[in-house]
Amino acid sequence: MNPYPDWLSPGDNAWQLVAATLVGLMSLPGIAVLYGGLVQKKWAVNTMLMAFTGFSLVLVVWVLWGFKMGFGEPLKLGPGILQAAVGKPRSIVGTENQHQAVIPLLDGLMPQFKFSETTLAYFQFVFAAITPLLFLGSVVGRINFRVWLIFVPLWSTLAYSVNAFLLWGGGWWAQSHTSISSAWTTGALDFSGGYVIHLAAGTSGFVAAAVIGPRLARDRDRAVPNNLPMAAVGAGILWLGWNGFNGGDPYFSGANASLAVINTNLATAVALLTWVILDIFASRQRKPTFLGGINGMITGLVAITPAAGFVNSFGAMIIGVVASILVWLSWNYLGRTRPFKKVDDTLGVVHTHGVAGLAGGLLVGVLADPHIILYMGNGADVSDVTAAGWLWGHHPAQILIQLGAAVTVIIWDAFITFTILRVLGRFMKLRAPDEVLELGDIGVHDEEAYPDETLVTGRQSEPAVERPAEPTALKHAEAVES
Amino acid sequence: MKLITAIIKPFTLDDVRHAVETAGVAGLTFTEGQGYGRQRGHTEVYRGAEYAVDFVPKARVEVVVNDEWVQRVVDAIVNAARTGKIGDGKVWVSPVESLIRIRTGERDHAAL
Repeated sequence: MNPYPDWLSPGDNAWQLVAATLVGLMSLPGIAVLYGGLVQKKWAVNTMLMAFTGFSLVLVVWVLWGFKMGFGEPLKLGPGILQAAVGKPRSIVGTENQHQAVIPLLDGLMPQFKFSETTLAYFQFVFAAITPLLFLGSVVGRINFRVWLIFVPLWSTLAYSVNAFLLWGGGWWAQSHTSISSAWTTGALDFSGGYVIHLAAGTSGFVAAAVIGPRLARDRDRAVPNNLPMAAVGAGILWLGWNGFNGGDPYFSGANASLAVINTNLATAVALLTWVILDIFASRQRKPTFLGGINGMITGLVAITPAAGFVNSFGAMIIGVVASILVWLSWNYLGRTRPFKKVDDTLGVVHTHGVAGLAGGLLVGVLADPHIILYMGNGADVSDVTAAGWLWGHHPAQILIQLGAAVTVIIWDAFITFTILRVLGRFMKLRAPDEVLELGDIGVHDEEAYPDETLVTGRQSEPAVERPAEPTALKHAEAVES
Repeated sequence: MKLITAIIKPFTLDDVRHAVETAGVAGLTFTEGQGYGRQRGHTEVYRGAEYAVDFVPKARVEVVVNDEWVQRVVDAIVNAARTGKIGDGKVWVSPVESLIRIRTGERDHAAL
């Protein structure tokens, strides 16, 4: 007997499953406790439950139809981009997915996968799952819980699948279009989801926040976090979990995975330090803040995501500095202007994910280093798979391609988020009623994050407990007495 | 009998406890509180937004003593809690009608 088919590499399969698990940990408990700690005390439970339910909902959607919509055979909807914008919905709950993984439109453009379709599906699922969890940060503190349960599957189906297919499933933005321009030799580059995930989350979160409406005015004025150590736990899990996020995306546990991991950590460290230094010398209070450091960390992680395996480590440091400065300015200045001031993006996802993802995606067009080898050729007729940005390729075309893909993701995700919520809004209240918002977790769930046992009087409505039968001797005695 | 209530800066609690003990009183009660007086609050910054916090953490110390001990204990507390800076707190004395030690049922002076 043999546990491995010929095409399967135990090393690649093991790394891919570990990487997937690391990315999964970024959601649960990562995002759950990061966001759970950052929101007001009265919203911690609601935030955590939305994270756990969102993760669960996406997995069900993913195996029933989502995975194939992102990575399957193209659904030909019309000419041009419509020919390769989304895959045909198919379930993967049968037995066929024990076979070697293949992304149909990328077949021949990359090495054959050395693991099964199930591995690919689970690895891609954790990315699909974290995306709605990220933009949860834009709508916490007022979204109707039931709306969340319906919105997430719809968004995952209509927005995420398209993003993923266009850039990762070999769709239109992943293709070269030399018929349009001779310089368009490479598709848009998004190593691990600067666009598919972060720009998408920033855009969708912002639009959702606008459509759903703001939190209570009192909550906006007193938006203080309830547990910074818990936020630290979540942030730390995000950082190290990102080793799987970017380290898993070459799909092989080779040298490019290693480079992606160190680039990710380097850009993140630099971005965190940049934000702290900006806080010390340029913030109003001239003081370093922990949550500023966390914002810088997330900015670095997000900005290196589209670039991790395309740039050299010097490029990674540049991305860390530039993205951190841009997002710091966006957070502290752009955030105080309309429409950013008007729209209540609770945790500022549009900055740390939207702006950072966009900045990273455009910087790939500048810094992608053609000496970084993603997949090796054979030294003869098959050349190495690499990417070249403006700085190295001496042609700015890649920046325009990156911009085009970004605009596509922004327009589509904004449109679909707006449409889903407007339709749902015809049937249900998108925002919980004010009297529920005043109570927070107790109003929505009858739970609170830090209940005090000394304030509990006792159990209400005792469940029917079987009482032990009274000793017969006693019964007898009573009978005699009466 | 008198109840001495002192609102003090939390970091002086240990000195106050020591001073009360040295003055000869075995026992006091401490609770955490939030208050404001002439001492202004402070600002906290979360995620780039400034929030005013008007209340500052305070320690509330309560001691019940015989009338003739009042001055001694009050002086001890005041000396121990004084830093000379604004926000040192206040001490006040109020009459106590009766007192019972729960364990034994002893009353008034015997219960002190």
